Amino acid sequence: MRRHLALARFALGSGGRRAGRTLTLTLALALVTAAFSAVLFLTEALRREYRLGVGLLPDLTVQRLVAGRPGLIAEAHARAIAAIRGVTRVEPRVWGYYFVPALAGNFTVVGADFAGPSAGVNPGVVLGEGRLPGRGATGEAVLGEALAGFLGLSVGDAIELPVGNGSQRFEVVGLFRSSVALWSADVLLLSLEDARRFLQVPEGEATDLAVRLSTPDEATVAAGKIAELVPGARIVDRQLLDRTYDLTFDTRGGLMGAMLLPALAAFLVLAWDRLTGVGPGERREIGVLRAVGWKTSEILEARLWENLLIGAYGAGLGLLGAYGYVFLLGAPGLREVLMGWSSLYPAFDLAPAVTAGQVLVVGTLVVVPFVTLSLVPAWHATTRDPHGLLRGTT
Amino acid sequence: MKATSDIAIRALGLTKRYASGRSERTALREVNLEIPAGEFWTVNGPSGSGKTTLLGLLAGMIAPTAGEVHLGGRCISHLRDSHRALVRRHAVGMVFQEFAMIPGMTLEENLHLPRVPEGGPRRADRDRARALLDRFGLTALAGTRVERLSAGELQRGAILRALLGDAPILLLDEPTASLDAENVARLLDLLVGLRNEGRTLLATTHDPRVVNDPRWDGVLRLADGALVS
Repeated sequence: MRRHLALARFALGSGGRRAGRTLTLTLALALVTAAFSAVLFLTEALRREYRLGVGLLPDLTVQRLVAGRPGLIAEAHARAIAAIRGVTRVEPRVWGYYFVPALAGNFTVVGADFAGPSAGVNPGVVLGEGRLPGRGATGEAVLGEALAGFLGLSVGDAIELPVGNGSQRFEVVGLFRSSVALWSADVLLLSLEDARRFLQVPEGEATDLAVRLSTPDEATVAAGKIAELVPGARIVDRQLLDRTYDLTFDTRGGLMGAMLLPALAAFLVLAWDRLTGVGPGERREIGVLRAVGWKTSEILEARLWENLLIGAYGAGLGLLGAYGYVFLLGAPGLREVLMGWSSLYPAFDLAPAVTAGQVLVVGTLVVVPFVTLSLVPAWHATTRDPHGLLRGTT
Repeated sequence: MKATSDIAIRALGLTKRYASGRSERTALREVNLEIPAGEFWTVNGPSGSGKTTLLGLLAGMIAPTAGEVHLGGRCISHLRDSHRALVRRHAVGMVFQEFAMIPGMTLEENLHLPRVPEGGPRRADRDRARALLDRFGLTALAGTRVERLSAGELQRGAILRALLGDAPILLLDEPTASLDAENVARLLDLLVGLRNEGRTLLATTHDPRVVNDPRWDGVLRLADGALVS
């Protein structure tokens, strides 16, 4: 142990003596590590957020397809579905999209029956400001944070929206809390009646039916029975959505990672250039060590320590930088790439989530190749004639 | 011929050839020599005559193309590279013309370089280093970075390092190359003193101030890679 510590101490000194090389490699390594780690951290944090969201979704969502597209479904099916064994609740939902040309995108209109199942919603949990629409009240709306920001609205303001052939004035009575922005950023929440009028969904019909099961693992069995009861139904399984989100983030994260590969390659080329271009000073140092009786294995161990220290510093700096970029700054620039399917991006704080697995992946991808690469030129130099190294003739 | 145990350095048919493109250049050819233990010899010859190559071969830094080197009766030419490194660390003190010091490190750190792979200098090593620094008049410079030392100070430091491991054999490559007359005289006194303590010394030189010194026990002459006397 004492022997290894002495070699590590010598390596630390070597790094200090070649401060320029050490600094360049540390910074380059930190940059590459930060880029890879940011993608990993953000992907994992978003995946976690979306999993939380998917956990709140119904076990099954029943839609009716008309001409291959989702159409309205009769609320009457709800009673038949509720009779299936294992189904604990069936809730008709009214929701849809509204296209805003200025936004060049949609916002989501959701109707809630505050006298029905939605009555259990705790306003303190979901609202950052104001209140939910009152029971039976019309002309009241709750807006998502991003939508309110885009429209320049706050609690107490009013907005005129087209309803049928005319228009209706809605008063903003509340704003969703930023912590639920992932699900509410682009949402306009109205009472059920207002939503029906706005989206032109007739009484007795709904956008879809939300089905809760006593045993979610038997969703496939329940879905089969629902398909028999509702011809032409499309039944979306929550577990399927879960897998879809996973695949989506894996694909986007993978694509971003692949785009960063050239950066990694550039770094490795730089490292190779800096390390194989062992300068005359470094060559001479190896010559001195050989001349005073160091074995090849001892010189290589010292170089291994030196580059492990550089690797550890660089990777540590990179991981810290990525952590700050993702969880303190909110990953500006990268977040939109990984999330972007909406015109209104939810502004929410990502919960820090760094796992040992992520650190291991970064270590394997960046530090291990760097340290391994560094040993090749050192080994090459130690095989030269030490006399020549000392005199600068080899 | 002296008994094997009395011979500190022995070379038998020592030859070194370097590849030079498609041809070969012979740096040393068929050198046979014996240096008795406790004597002080020099190797003279013009530049390029093979003096430094001979020293490199004797120290086990260079592998011979043919022939053998025996130090203290032990053949080192067929040892593995790692074992030859241990010979350089423990059995031979080598003083290089270029001093072989690492810039950025202090003189004391450079002195203890051979001890680093063994876990660094122990108390006995530090005590011995202090005593030698004092003897060589370098105590005040122990903590100075070597790039700030004069050639004379570096030369003494290099000899000090060679002595630190208490090696019985000292090989010196052009030890006076960068010294003024006063420092040459001091160095020669020092080397003679080491000989008188029982060490075997072999120094390459083409410095007339050294060649003409009468205190050597023997002189070897090299010309064009061959021993001429």
